[in-house]
Amino acid sequence: MQPFAYARPASLAETVALLERHGPEARLLAGGTDLIIRLRDGTLTPSIVVDLKRVAELRPGIRERDGRLVIGATTVMTDIMANAVVRRDFAALAEAAAVVGSVQIRNRATLAGNLCNASPAADTSPSLLVYDATLVVTGPDGERRIPLDAFFVRSGVTTLAHGELVTSIELPLPTAARGSVHLRRTRRRGHDLASVTLACSVDGAGITRLAYGSVGPRPLLVGDESGVLADPAAPEAAREAILDRLLADARPSPRSMRSGPDYRLAMLRVLARRGIRAASERLVSRRAT
Amino acid sequence: MTATVAITLRVNGRLRSIEVAPHRTLLDVLRDDIRLTGAKECCLVGECGACTVIVDGRTVDSCLVLAVEVDGGEVTTAEGLARDGTLTPLQQAFLDEGAVQCGFCIPGQVVSAHALLAENPDPTLEEIQEGLAGNLCRCGCYWQISDAVIAAARNDAR
Amino acid sequence: MTSAPVGGSPQRVGGIARVTGQQEYLADIHLPGEGHAKLVTLPVAHARLVAIDASVAEALPGVQFVMTPADLPDPIPRFGPQFNDRPVLAVGEALYHGEPVAAVVAETREIAEAAARLVRVEYEELPAAVTVAAALAADAPLVRDPKLRPDDALASTNVLREHRYTWGDVDTTTADLVVEHDYSFPMVTHFAIEPHAVIAAPDDDGIAVWSSIQHPNWLQRILAQVLGLPLAKVRVHAPDPGGAFGGKQHAKYEPLVAFMARRAGRPVRLVLSLEETFQAVRRAAAEVHVRTGLMADGTIAFQDVAADYLIGAYADIADRVVGKGSYPGCGPYRVPAARIVARAVLSHTLPSTAFRGFGNPQVNWAVESNLTDGALALGLDPLELRLRNLARRGEAFIPFDTPADGDWQQAVHRAAELIDWFGPKPPGRGRGIAVGIKSGPTTGLSYATVRLLADGSIVVYAGTSDMGQGARTVFAQIAAQELGAPLDWITVVMGDTVVVPYDQQTSASRSTVLMGNAVLSACRDIQAKLRAMAARLHGLDESSIVVDAGVVRLPDRELSILDVLKPGLGRLGGEVVGNGEARKEAEPGHPLGGSAAFFEFNCTAVEAEVDRDTGDVTLTRYATVSDVGKAINPLQVRMQDEGAAIQGLGHTLMEHFIFDDGGRIRNLGAIDYRIPTSMDLPLEMISEIVENGDGPGPYGAKGMSEGAILCVSAAVAAAVRDATGAVIRDLPLSPERVWQALNEQSRVPEEVVR
Repeated sequence: MQPFAYARPASLAETVALLERHGPEARLLAGGTDLIIRLRDGTLTPSIVVDLKRVAELRPGIRERDGRLVIGATTVMTDIMANAVVRRDFAALAEAAAVVGSVQIRNRATLAGNLCNASPAADTSPSLLVYDATLVVTGPDGERRIPLDAFFVRSGVTTLAHGELVTSIELPLPTAARGSVHLRRTRRRGHDLASVTLACSVDGAGITRLAYGSVGPRPLLVGDESGVLADPAAPEAAREAILDRLLADARPSPRSMRSGPDYRLAMLRVLARRGIRAASERLVSRRAT
Repeated sequence: MTATVAITLRVNGRLRSIEVAPHRTLLDVLRDDIRLTGAKECCLVGECGACTVIVDGRTVDSCLVLAVEVDGGEVTTAEGLARDGTLTPLQQAFLDEGAVQCGFCIPGQVVSAHALLAENPDPTLEEIQEGLAGNLCRCGCYWQISDAVIAAARNDAR
Repeated sequence: MTSAPVGGSPQRVGGIARVTGQQEYLADIHLPGEGHAKLVTLPVAHARLVAIDASVAEALPGVQFVMTPADLPDPIPRFGPQFNDRPVLAVGEALYHGEPVAAVVAETREIAEAAARLVRVEYEELPAAVTVAAALAADAPLVRDPKLRPDDALASTNVLREHRYTWGDVDTTTADLVVEHDYSFPMVTHFAIEPHAVIAAPDDDGIAVWSSIQHPNWLQRILAQVLGLPLAKVRVHAPDPGGAFGGKQHAKYEPLVAFMARRAGRPVRLVLSLEETFQAVRRAAAEVHVRTGLMADGTIAFQDVAADYLIGAYADIADRVVGKGSYPGCGPYRVPAARIVARAVLSHTLPSTAFRGFGNPQVNWAVESNLTDGALALGLDPLELRLRNLARRGEAFIPFDTPADGDWQQAVHRAAELIDWFGPKPPGRGRGIAVGIKSGPTTGLSYATVRLLADGSIVVYAGTSDMGQGARTVFAQIAAQELGAPLDWITVVMGDTVVVPYDQQTSASRSTVLMGNAVLSACRDIQAKLRAMAARLHGLDESSIVVDAGVVRLPDRELSILDVLKPGLGRLGGEVVGNGEARKEAEPGHPLGGSAAFFEFNCTAVEAEVDRDTGDVTLTRYATVSDVGKAINPLQVRMQDEGAAIQGLGHTLMEHFIFDDGGRIRNLGAIDYRIPTSMDLPLEMISEIVENGDGPGPYGAKGMSEGAILCVSAAVAAAVRDATGAVIRDLPLSPERVWQALNEQSRVPEEVVR
């Protein structure tokens, strides 16, 4: 690993100042499970690494505020998957957090880190898209909010401006019953990078939302408001026609060694069908209770 | 060369003050500076778990943690589990159940299993297999390792 | 002691150090004043080397020097277990992705790594052959300069050697059904969790080398040869390897590091990364064409097997792997006519070497799958077909070799029973069964020394490497059994060529048999001396005394060994030293140079379920049954059989190197080279053994630990086929590949096998 300087700011203002001063020479360190791999393999060679874990405003935690669930940027996957509210109201996020690597990885990897890497295969992105997550971002010009769907550009690239960092992730708490699920495909059952990752939610009004990743440069969010997808009695041809449309923008890379594009597209379809079924079943069981 | 940073951490109960360069990982410092070599170097990408240690109550791949991040923290390695030369019931169960072949992954396995039992004293087989999936064993002792965790859990329950 | 040491499962010798993190593996050893080495490699598979400029690297503070071929003797020393073909550093051409062309020594590993990046290597990329087809193409770039192969008819090809084994006449033998298919086996790597490492240090007028090597004496010989030193001046320390599986049998970078240490005038250590380890060892990929002739009742009429093994750029032990691995290729069956042609095909890939199963899993996959194919085409039960043809004890199933040395049908019946072969199948599930056989060592030589100390405690010297198989425990059990000491009074010393007597090698599942016999014979040597001692002490004739299991039996009473030892040794004390030897001589004229000391036999039976949408395979039941003669340590036997099975599930379900067009490995490292985790196991795994005490080792033991990997793939693929009808002849059976097969099946009407 090439040497670098290390900063451990205590406040957000100090952090932003460091980012302004060092520009692209600075890299933010939260969990480090991705950053340190890239520091070691030489794909990143920052002159300074800024550790966010002692920033007072960025203490990990999950709180409810004004009808939203606010997840602190440095909250790790282990705490997200164990959180009672997340498990109850954002099941797909809990499921996604539970498959981000091994226990050791989940004990370090943060939600904001997972999003800011902007890996097309990131497992938490689809669920957060489905839940209409918003990123709270602080920078030299103060705070702003970015809807997650407007955050991803392509692998490794987001709409964060220089000097900005994500401080929390906000999820609107559901106002009505909803069923949701996260599903993925991997090369083995043990932890693995997803070759397709998908989240689905179905609500009582029959609105189905699907988000999927690892089949293109960024995760995609699509939806069906016709009620057909969520209706188990709807004719299969009608449902498949809608899926054709919803999944049409998937463009898996032909160069990936994890699986071929044909397989990814087929699996996307399988996961979509299974996701809709599972989310619908959860909706039914939720309404029953 | 970048300046070093003075850090203090408690390793297996013992307070250590050391000067480290920021780019050195916890694994480097444990192995090279403190000469605790129970944590092993293998994949260096957080896949194999051979370098697993406990930091502030939770397992981490010490190859993916900078030593400076652990300043003020508490670290437990495989060397720190047995007290006064007596194996923990879990360590003994590893031997009784035949969970040790070459042994290279075993310090990491024992640390992960120890943390798993601390969190979940009566795990199911599925929970053990999921909880230890971040520790690869190429000798393929997985069944024996889960047997050992189950035996240690039972032993604790008694 | 409550029960006999042999046949029990005492706590592993060295176990406590392993569960407490105290066990010292190679990278845990540090020598004072050591320098750190780093290899310089090229990002291409095949290149002509033009020039190396190390000046910038050598100017980096903390760099001692950069070693290039110019710093080594001219011509550059070459070495290898079979051919002296591997140069200490690449000269003229680099032949595979990862081959070192230079190496740095520096004060720290970090500086060495930084300096390695600064070494400027000027090279011209050349076309590379990284598949069997490319290497055998008429215009293929030759991996080995024909000038290096004088008088070799194959010199103008990439075939290093061709091995032919025939009996009967395949061409004139008729059959009711001929099943003919192509199979492929992927290129996989050992992935021992301990990456390879070596330390070398000048040692007076000689050299000391620490290596996580399986064969310390063989390494000693190689080092003596390249350095021009007598054996006694080459001291190899071999700490217990952290997993080896064949990958640590032979010298790789030890000669280089030895030269570097001599030049540096101080110890030099080289600890490879996992990525570098992947570029150092692998199993040979193979493409196998099989024609099986069957009679309508399932009797095998002939087997015609052509196997092309893709070995690497240097032979290492790979040609022996090809020759010995293909040799029992027709399986443990009565085969009236057989033709096996196996070729070792050179390629611009890293050298392949020994890997658990030693060339057998590749051919087994093809031949066993072909038999299942034939059975189904004939409407026979695949189990029935195997039992019909299985050699019975004493049958010379390979005409010029050791006859069948077990009641193998017992293992087959048991494996079938364990998955309820004849019981009703749950919906969606399929079952598969296969058998595997491997020749044990064909030659061997092991010496052991045992010292019975004055208090009855024991030191055993055995040159085996304990790489996880538990050899220390087994040897301690033998000594305890014979000389009556408790196990914790026994120390087993290994891994130091200056201290421990010669052992040929730790391979071919030989150690319990060969070294075990040597230890046993050293113990019996001590027993004879105790007999003489007792005779002298009690004024008896030696022939009236029996020493056995730690007891000295006089005609009228029994004494403990200590009762004889203490007075026998007298006031000065001292000890009784026993020496033992186990030898299996070569047999000139035998196609392998010697017949099998024993056979490893295994039957694996699997029940599987397949997700038809995704191609996911779930193994619902898995049974592996090995014929081991006698389990000296049943727990260790079970651990190894299950471990071998899980390792086999790796190449069966997920493992393979992926190359780019230029011959670079794309999935170097643990992120994209997947091996089984604790979540990738069968839902239920049962391992059992057959023990008839019919092996050549101590107490009737046979070698074991490789048997259970031999036929994993064929059993699993047969179960997948039974569950879905999908026939797959290429490994691994990844979800994507299974899905593709299911898709093809749904597109094409029922395939006719005939």
